[in-house]
Amino acid sequence: MVPEEIIKKIWPKVRTKHLFPELPIPKVSEGRENVALEMKNKQITINAAFYDKIAHKMGVEEVVEALLDHGISHYTYCPWDFHTHLRLFREAKRVVKDKEQAKRAAGLFMDVVADTHCVKEKKTPLPELYKHIDRGKVDAVISSLYQKIWGLDLCAKEDEEVVRRLSRIPYLDKKQWDKSIQKFARVIKALLEVEEEEDRQEGNQTNPMGEHGLGGYTLEEIDQGLRNFANQNVGLKEFKETFEDFKDELKDVGYGMEGGMGRGEGTPLDADLIYYMKLAESYSIPIKKVPMEKRGFLNPHSHCPWEIGRPFQDVDVWTSFGKIMPGITQTWNKIEGSTFGERESVPDCIIIIDSSGSMTNPRKNLSYAVLGAACASDAYLRNDAKVAVYNFSDAPMGGKAILNFTAERVKIYGVLCKYFGGGTALNLNELDPLLDAAKEPDIFIITDMKITNLGKVIGYFQNINNRITAVYIGENTYALRFREAMEKKKNMSFYNVTKKEDIPKIVLGKIEEYFRGNL
Amino acid sequence: MQNPFDDFRNHRTREREIPLDSIIQSRDRVMSQITKGYEKLLEEEVKELVWLVQYNTVIKAYTLAEKVVKKFEYKAEDIEEFCYELDSTDKIPYLITGPAGIYISALCNYAQEEEMILKLNDLKTQINLLGYRLPVGKKVAVEGNLGDFTGIGMEGGELVVEGNAKNYTGAGMKSGRVRISKNIGLHTGEWMMGGEIFVGGRVRGLGKIVDGKIYEDDKVIYPRNYRQSNTYY
Repeated sequence: MVPEEIIKKIWPKVRTKHLFPELPIPKVSEGRENVALEMKNKQITINAAFYDKIAHKMGVEEVVEALLDHGISHYTYCPWDFHTHLRLFREAKRVVKDKEQAKRAAGLFMDVVADTHCVKEKKTPLPELYKHIDRGKVDAVISSLYQKIWGLDLCAKEDEEVVRRLSRIPYLDKKQWDKSIQKFARVIKALLEVEEEEDRQEGNQTNPMGEHGLGGYTLEEIDQGLRNFANQNVGLKEFKETFEDFKDELKDVGYGMEGGMGRGEGTPLDADLIYYMKLAESYSIPIKKVPMEKRGFLNPHSHCPWEIGRPFQDVDVWTSFGKIMPGITQTWNKIEGSTFGERESVPDCIIIIDSSGSMTNPRKNLSYAVLGAACASDAYLRNDAKVAVYNFSDAPMGGKAILNFTAERVKIYGVLCKYFGGGTALNLNELDPLLDAAKEPDIFIITDMKITNLGKVIGYFQNINNRITAVYIGENTYALRFREAMEKKKNMSFYNVTKKEDIPKIVLGKIEEYFRGNL
Repeated sequence: MQNPFDDFRNHRTREREIPLDSIIQSRDRVMSQITKGYEKLLEEEVKELVWLVQYNTVIKAYTLAEKVVKKFEYKAEDIEEFCYELDSTDKIPYLITGPAGIYISALCNYAQEEEMILKLNDLKTQINLLGYRLPVGKKVAVEGNLGDFTGIGMEGGELVVEGNAKNYTGAGMKSGRVRISKNIGLHTGEWMMGGEIFVGGRVRGLGKIVDGKIYEDDKVIYPRNYRQSNTYY
């Protein structure tokens, strides 16, 4: 068992060495003897069984220090954050193709980087620990690699050719990590295949220095990592693939289950939804708030003599000397106050999205329409407004999905991501109940305007006074016709989206000279 | 008031030189030499804009490549890495498969090792003309597919390909062995004057062969006359 005094004694020294990482004091747990330590929610836990096994081979303080050096180097250097973890995994998977092998390759690479950084920059007993640790075939190769690149004798002698190739990788050059892990994975691919086969026959063998699961990250870090990953020019397909590979682990750590994400317990994680959600979070679209509204109640303005028949409640008792008597009693003259009755606010919004055959299928490729609509709904939700969705293809024939006003992001994204892929027609009668369900909601319509009943749509929008933001994807004659017909309407603004970067230019509800009363 | 940085007063960063540093430095130096050599070759070859595999062009390019690579000290891993650098093309401006293949062949022919393995499975582009003039005593094993003119003009060496090769494999080879584990394209052994080609899979078509032997799945398909030149089967 690891004596607590040792941890208490070593911890300040190790913290100082690593420049005071924000980590709690490590704990000890009983576990399998072949795994040295694990990190969950920033908490490093040393495995007592592993400690007991190795402690008689080297100094007890050294064992604890080496393990902590290893754990902290992962936290402070590699992978550092969840985004880097995902990136390294993706690059490894490009080479090895198999999910489990890619996870193993990424884990080993992170170990080599973190340990090498530690050995180069800090005084650490890590090499001593590697000398005594039990190792499988792949771990033995990694120890031989350490021996070569650290220049220390670790009593390891494995596959010279593989080690020679591995030793040429610039592990400490962060900028080259993407390429480096590809090289790393390419070299150890054959070994991983053999290891996987052995695992199948002899039971699962684990990394002696601990596995690199998602437990080490907080939910906020995972959220941030996914956001950065979605924004790193990865296509929908690649994001989806990587997300699916981590889906079970994400569920295990409770990602997507907390209330803040707006998802109830047991809701399956949908990679498409998460992709658009994370992208939309990065594009902040401003909303013009509705102008303040006057409230017409009366304020006391001046005094005038009280006359019989005038209401008593207007009497000013202070200037009337407590008397109710014509000529003496004074009453207040009241006029309408100029104060504003309500604060500036954002109305609810109806998002009308076209998912007909001429639009991109959001589950196959990045759909600007869905991304635009997602950004819009995000903007309204952030301002405490609610969003309703009308997703249409050939609506009169049933190609539609309607969601009433809600603030539940996942439900909204679920309807936005639906794709019908049929003809294009709006059933305008179905919009009326939505318009009636909220107080003068904004309308956000996103389509390529190739709508069969465009004439009726134009007529409908000409007769309503709600603020309308019309976004059309690409340029075509239908869009031109819609724009020309609606140009004089002052409650309407138009935007054209041809590339992803056009989306942040949209200002929701921005209407030139918007005066509700004049319309 | 206590200085909040007191804890760091005695902290000294310890950055020691580890062998990895010198390995990476040396690797970078060698890669830079190899890349510059290739750029020099391109400067000469790119003048002719369209690069055609003609007897004179190949000889000219190889002579130039030979002159450049003779001066370098490198290993098989450097050649492999150069292939991937070429493939990613963000560091090296052009990948013209003809001169690139000639240059890589020259690198193989003048490498320190007599036997080398090139793991090229993950290359996006297939290298042409690999194995050009591979001399006696040299063995190059390639993991991955190769392009046209694989093993062209071989001079006694052994080229082993764990994968497929395209057309004109072994064209003009004088002696040596080409072993292809999978399939091979048309015009196999065109102008071949000697040596052997072993194919584990299928041979799509034979070229006009002068001399030498070609085996398909351990059966001799040349010099037996039952197949016509460039027959598709």
